[in-house]
Amino acid sequence: MARLTSDQARVFGALIVAVALHLTGTTLIEGYSSEFSMRAMLVLGSLLAIASIGQTLVVIVGGIDLSIPFVIGFANVVTAQLYGGGMNFALVCLVVVGLACLIGALNGLISSSLKLHPLIVTLGIGTIVQGSVLLWTGGFPSGSAPESITEFVSIGGSVGFLPVPWLVPCFVALAAIVTVALARTAYGRRLFALGSNPRAAPLALIHPVAMWTATFAISAAFAAVTGILLLGFTGSAYGEVGQPYLFQTIAAVVIGGTALVGGRGSYLGTVAGALVLTEINTLLIGIGLQPSLVQAVLGVVIVVLVSFYGRDAHVRTTI
Amino acid sequence: MTAITTSSPTASRVPALKAIWRQTGFAPILFVVLLAINIFINPARFAPGAWGTLIGLAAPLVGAAIASAPAILGGRGGIDISVGPIMGFVNAIVVLVLIQKLGLSSPFIVVGVAVAIGAAIGALNGFLATILRIQPIVATLGTYLLLVGTTLTILPAPTGTVPVWLKSLGGPLSILPLGAVFLIWIGIRRLPYYDHLMAVGSDDRAAYTAGIPVTLVRFLSYVITGVFAGVAGLMMTALIGSADPSIGPTYTLIAISAVALGGVSLAGGRGGLLGAAIGAIDIFLLQSALTYFNFSTFVLQIAYGAILVIAIVLTALQDRWLGRMRGVN
Repeated sequence: MARLTSDQARVFGALIVAVALHLTGTTLIEGYSSEFSMRAMLVLGSLLAIASIGQTLVVIVGGIDLSIPFVIGFANVVTAQLYGGGMNFALVCLVVVGLACLIGALNGLISSSLKLHPLIVTLGIGTIVQGSVLLWTGGFPSGSAPESITEFVSIGGSVGFLPVPWLVPCFVALAAIVTVALARTAYGRRLFALGSNPRAAPLALIHPVAMWTATFAISAAFAAVTGILLLGFTGSAYGEVGQPYLFQTIAAVVIGGTALVGGRGSYLGTVAGALVLTEINTLLIGIGLQPSLVQAVLGVVIVVLVSFYGRDAHVRTTI
Repeated sequence: MTAITTSSPTASRVPALKAIWRQTGFAPILFVVLLAINIFINPARFAPGAWGTLIGLAAPLVGAAIASAPAILGGRGGIDISVGPIMGFVNAIVVLVLIQKLGLSSPFIVVGVAVAIGAAIGALNGFLATILRIQPIVATLGTYLLLVGTTLTILPAPTGTVPVWLKSLGGPLSILPLGAVFLIWIGIRRLPYYDHLMAVGSDDRAAYTAGIPVTLVRFLSYVITGVFAGVAGLMMTALIGSADPSIGPTYTLIAISAVALGGVSLAGGRGGLLGAAIGAIDIFLLQSALTYFNFSTFVLQIAYGAILVIAIVLTALQDRWLGRMRGVN
């Protein structure tokens, strides 16, 4: 392969930025590449990347999912509540992910069958979900996280000789599965076909409503998984735990070179985007900025990064 | 999605009322119903004497919704999610810097600065979204984070007071800023610019081929959004009477909901500021009625989400039905 395609170049670009940020951090801050700091970044990056799986698929098909933070909060609180109530943990996970799939399916079904903008549908459904969870718990979620899940995501954990918790190798396997699914399965091909040309795809016997319903369901399922993992990470339930993921998942997807217009992109890019965001956050906090300033600089960095390789075509080139 | 042609021969036969219904969806019906319920359960709050306070309470949300509309009307994913943070930033600058630090509380200076800040940030958003061509939701997300972060840095905790004239804009004179925004918009509607914006929003490629400066039209829509967001920031400042870093950003998503509720298509080119305002008033009236019944904020949230989804679903179904009546798919 002599030349990279533009998509590969975008992924490559994001990876280079991540590495450059890491090198900058290592030279500027003592202990940036220490074992603990690397472990922490890997765990945080994995969590963000898992939360962004759904956003990647949804964006490729031409939609956007704003319900991810609400579903994360829902899974976080409901898991703690049910497990704290004495239910078997495996059963709890099944129930929570199943319910999340239903929420996501509803998002996709309403958006595609009525041709409504998914931004507003997912926002509305997300608001209902969050309100229902708050109503159920009275605003004060109780319950606890099982040992096993805490162990699974713990920054200090290890897998045999590898000094990382089980989350990291599991995430790598998951990323490989998602990448292969996008590139090699019928579902993946249909997803790209529908995203790049919503009018032609039905003529190729791709059912838009079924695809959207399934894709949004998958998105919600991974949001629920993130919510459960975050429960293990923080130890107690918190309904707002997903809020940072509202814009971060979108930012990870876009920094990774996936176009919000649909039909183009890759999960590997999103993983690179998640790494970039995690590195920037760690770097900015490391050089002693206040959280509020970190946020401000993050905004500038996202815009600068995307302006390098995430630009849209001019309207004259689309005619 | 499909472009709506307003000049088809059948459209002229559709009565004007039906055209309004078509443009704003179910928001006006919801408005009448919710208003009736509110007046019935709480006549004192809705008595003519209390209108100033009432409008002042609703104004920031209405202002935020109106501000969000122009960028959305421009189409091709046009959206400004930094409207809420602009309001918060204007609030912080006006109260903390102008009034508290510099002691400048003249209406001309305060209003001028608020409008100038809004226009500047709107121009930045417009530059990022239309000239650099970063996808609008990402470009304005950048501005969102930048503004929220800056606001929190200069104003870590709520503080400050506002002069009497500004306070009165949140009470007896609350109609003034809203009226001003509508007057400006009515003015814009009389310009060729408005037709250009709607044309670009419905089909930018056709508009470009017809010689409309697509980039400039979209750029200006962000500037208009910014200016209106600056004024909405003043309305919010008048209502809360202090500087508070946490309130502004909460308006973004609720304003976009109001815009969608008011029949503005998020795909662009369809709807108007009146619809957006009615959508916002609906949300306000709903909150007001549910709060009166002492429902918890949780129920309020569920109801708000449900009404949003139901209203846009009904609007979509009504569109289909009207489309079928006219023999258009």
